[in-house]
Amino acid sequence: MGKLPGATIGCIFLTVFWLTPQPATAQTAEKSRESKPADLPRLADGHPDLEGLWHNESGYQAALKNLRGGGGLAVALGDFHSAGVPLPFPYWPTTKQIQEYRDLHDPYHDPEAHCHVPGVPRETEQPSSLFPFQIIQDERYVVILYEYTHDVRIIPEDGSSHPKQYWAWDGDSRGHWEGDTLVVDVANFNGRTWLDMEANFVDENEHVVERYTMTGADTIAYSATVEDPTVFTKPWTMELTLKRNPAKDQIVYYDCHEGERDVEHYPKSEGNTANPHE
Amino acid sequence: MILATSAIAARADAKPQSAEARVRSYSPPRLSDGTPDFRGIWQAQATAYLNIEGHAAEVGVRASPSIVVDPADGRIPYLPDALKQRAKNYESRATSDPAINCFQAGVPRAIFLPTPFQIFQSVGHLAIVYTDNHSYRIVLASSVPHDDGIDFFMGDSRGHWEADTLVVDVTDLGEETWLDAAGNYHSDQLHVVERYTLLGPDTMRYEATMTDPKVYARPWTVRLLLDRDRRPGARINEDECIDGPDGVWHHVSPLDPQAVLHHDYPAELAREGNHP
Repeated sequence: MGKLPGATIGCIFLTVFWLTPQPATAQTAEKSRESKPADLPRLADGHPDLEGLWHNESGYQAALKNLRGGGGLAVALGDFHSAGVPLPFPYWPTTKQIQEYRDLHDPYHDPEAHCHVPGVPRETEQPSSLFPFQIIQDERYVVILYEYTHDVRIIPEDGSSHPKQYWAWDGDSRGHWEGDTLVVDVANFNGRTWLDMEANFVDENEHVVERYTMTGADTIAYSATVEDPTVFTKPWTMELTLKRNPAKDQIVYYDCHEGERDVEHYPKSEGNTANPHE
Repeated sequence: MILATSAIAARADAKPQSAEARVRSYSPPRLSDGTPDFRGIWQAQATAYLNIEGHAAEVGVRASPSIVVDPADGRIPYLPDALKQRAKNYESRATSDPAINCFQAGVPRAIFLPTPFQIFQSVGHLAIVYTDNHSYRIVLASSVPHDDGIDFFMGDSRGHWEADTLVVDVTDLGEETWLDAAGNYHSDQLHVVERYTLLGPDTMRYEATMTDPKVYARPWTVRLLLDRDRRPGARINEDECIDGPDGVWHHVSPLDPQAVLHHDYPAELAREGNHP
C-alpha cells in the first residue's frame, strides 16, 4: 500500500462476474469462438448480449512521429493503416494545413497528453494489451466503461434524441438496434479531441455513427463512420475487430494526472507557449 | 446552489428506528435473478461534501448537521496527532484539498458530492458512474479477492447482499484523497464498508463505516439519504477538467458554449478560398 498507480498498470487477472450464476452464454468464451450469429449470447429482450470485457485487436492508433524536443519519446507504436483507417484523411486544404501544423509543432498539445478522454472513435483505438473496456447492458442502456482515462460512455437506447445545448469531449451517444447490430449515433462534440497522435483532428461539427456487430460470442466487428463537414470533404469509415478478454480479466482503475509526478519533466514543444486547448 | 434543507438532511439520522421499519416494509423492484434493482440516477440530500461533521450556512448552501451517526456526538474519532493534521488540512484547504486538482474524489466522498451518480446493473454486474471526473467503480463479487498491494483513487470494491441491502467492502484506497472539503482525511490504511438500502421507490439510505488505525481511534459511521432523479432527460453530464496556463485545473461544463474549442490557426497558415 503506497503510491497510487500511474498509467502503466496492466491487467490483473480476476473474474468480473459475481453474485449469481451467469447465463451459460455469458461465460462460454473459450468454447464458442466459432459460434455463428444465430448462436450469439442474447439478453431477455432478444438483443445480442455485448456484456463483458473487450479490447481492440486491430492495432494501435498511430505512429508517434515528428515529436519535437521529446528525445526518447519518439517511439513508433503502430501503424494507422493497421487500425483500419483509410488514408489519407479527406481534409479540406485549409484543415489539412491545421493538421500538418499541429503535427509538426504541437505534439504536446495532444489532448491525451493532458489526460483528457480521447473522444470517439479514438477511445476504441486504444492499445489492446493495455486498455480493455467493459460493457454493461440492459434494456435501457449500454454503458461502456473504458479502462483508459476512466472514461465512461452512457448510451441510452430509449429513442431519445441528442440534446441541443451540450458540447463534450465524448459527445452525446444515443443507441438503437438494427437487427443484431448496435448502432450508436454520436454528436454534440466540443472540437477538442484528436483522432490519433498525428494531430488528425475534428471540430465541433463532428458526427460519428458507430456500429457494433457481434460476429461470434467473442468477437465484435466495429466500425465508425466519421463526418465533419467543416474539416473533411466527405465522410470516412474506420473498422476494428474487438475481441473478448479472458473471463478472469478485470478493469484495473486508471489514474492519469492524479498522482502524476513526472509532468514537470515534459519538454515544451518548440515555438509554442499558448495552449490551444484553453 | 441550494441542494437540501437542513431539516431534510437531518432526517438521515433523526429516526433510525422508523427507517428500519420502512426498510422492512418496502420491497424494492428486482432484477430477473431476484436481486434488488438499484438502477437510476441518485444524489445525496445533505451538503456533507462541505464538512462531514456538519457546517453552518454559507452563501447558497444551507447549514447541515453532522452525518456521523456513530460516535453519537457526531465527531470523527481522530487520534490526537491526526486531529492536529486535520486542523492543518482545514487551514490550507484552499490549496491542499485534492479536489482542487480535479483528482477523483475517493470513497466515501464521491457519494455525497453535490453532483449525481448513476447505478448500472444487470444480472451479475453492478457499476457506479459518478459525475465528477467521470469516476466509476465496478463492484465485483466478494468472492473475488481484493487487489491488495495496489492503491486506487476510488479503491477496490467487492459486493454482496445481506437481505435487500447491498454491502460493499472497499480497500486499496490511497492516502491522496480526503473525505470532504474541510480537511477530514484518512490514510492508506482506510477500509470502508458501505451499505446501500432502498427505503422507497425514490429514496436510498447510504451508510459507510470507516476503519483506519493510523488515523482513527475506532471505527465510525456516516449515514445519509440519496434521492432518485426522475426528471425526464436526467443524465450524468460529462465532467472534464482542463489545465489552465496558470497551472490551475478548471472543470468545464458541457452545458457551457465556451466548452467548444474553435480551431483558429496561426496567421501564417491563413489562406482564403480553400475552406467551405
